[in-house]
Amino acid sequence: MGIKLQDRVALVTGASRGIGRAIAEGLAREGAAVAVNYRSSEAQAQEVVDAITSEGGRAVAIGGDVSEYAQAQVAVAQTIEQLGGLHIVVNNAGIAKDSLVYNMDPTEWLDVMKVNFGGTFNCTKSALEQFMSQREGVIVNISSVMGERGWTGESNYAASKGAINAFTRCCAVEFARFGIRVNAVLPGFAPTDMVAGLMEKDGGKGISKQIPLKQFATVDEVASTAVFLAGPDASHMTGALLTVDGGVSAQVGVGKPL
Amino acid sequence: MADVESAVKEAVVEALALDDDEVTPDSTLMDDLGAESIDLLDILFRIQKSTGVKIEASDLGDYIQGGIPDDEFSDDNQIITAKGAEQLHKVMPQTDPSELEGKLNADEVITLFTVQNLVEMVKTRTSAAV
Repeated sequence: MGIKLQDRVALVTGASRGIGRAIAEGLAREGAAVAVNYRSSEAQAQEVVDAITSEGGRAVAIGGDVSEYAQAQVAVAQTIEQLGGLHIVVNNAGIAKDSLVYNMDPTEWLDVMKVNFGGTFNCTKSALEQFMSQREGVIVNISSVMGERGWTGESNYAASKGAINAFTRCCAVEFARFGIRVNAVLPGFAPTDMVAGLMEKDGGKGISKQIPLKQFATVDEVASTAVFLAGPDASHMTGALLTVDGGVSAQVGVGKPL
Repeated sequence: MADVESAVKEAVVEALALDDDEVTPDSTLMDDLGAESIDLLDILFRIQKSTGVKIEASDLGDYIQGGIPDDEFSDDNQIITAKGAEQLHKVMPQTDPSELEGKLNADEVITLFTVQNLVEMVKTRTSAAV
């Protein structure tokens, strides 16, 4: 167990699996008490809590659909009540409904926007009273390289992540004077439930060979960046968008000799 | 609890990054000191932290208007009425009702609010809380 986040309380949205779970466990390993938020996977969220407590950490599972403002407010209030404070919010909850624009049902951009950007907005706003009152707080938004680049079939997802990136910069500027830092992590491809469809065809080889590092990120490689941004080592960082993408967004095309 | 005068002054000085001698009791927050909405928010949160008195930004307008309905506080063109000007004089004693009545736009009322006016407002909340 580390000590960089001792006496800190964190809320991680969508933390029952995938990158969110890895972040919750990573924060706990640095000493933070963690609220493991979930929407529908209660049993899995409890597993994360058990995994953290079995290693001597402190965690609670907190249900709530953060795409609904009222539920985000309750999740924040319950975190403060059950863990005795709030210092870190990781806006991780996200969904994808990949489709070609030509085929996309108009409800599909709004659904994705509501969870990905809406959840980020709702939890950020819900935490502000606490953060501004104590003049301390850290927000880490889990975005995507898709928010800065394009990919066939990802228009709604990319737009929602682009919104998060813009929101991250504005919040960083607005909240800085209150001692609140806001940054984002932009993962490339990490094999989680959310992108299982991309792996179906050939185990994801079609994608991994386009990544300069030639492999997908592990969830822990994404989580470690989020934990860094949440902690004192990033004390002078705000408004930053950190890519964790194996070099994907550094290249033009697949980078092979012409 | 910190002395209200010094707590308010400190909040204003720090939120606006001013020197101590630039902030006097009769400085208006917006016109003289250049406070924007985010500065007011910062000032109010700083006062809350040092004095424990919680004032929402929206409370400022309500306090100034003193519960007088909009249509009695100002006329159809948003210009302050005699009743409105009289209320303004109560919470901002430095104002002269005869100069405001029929002249001042309701939206501009807040620009007359001074550091001392804010001190008095915080004091009303302090005594109310006790």
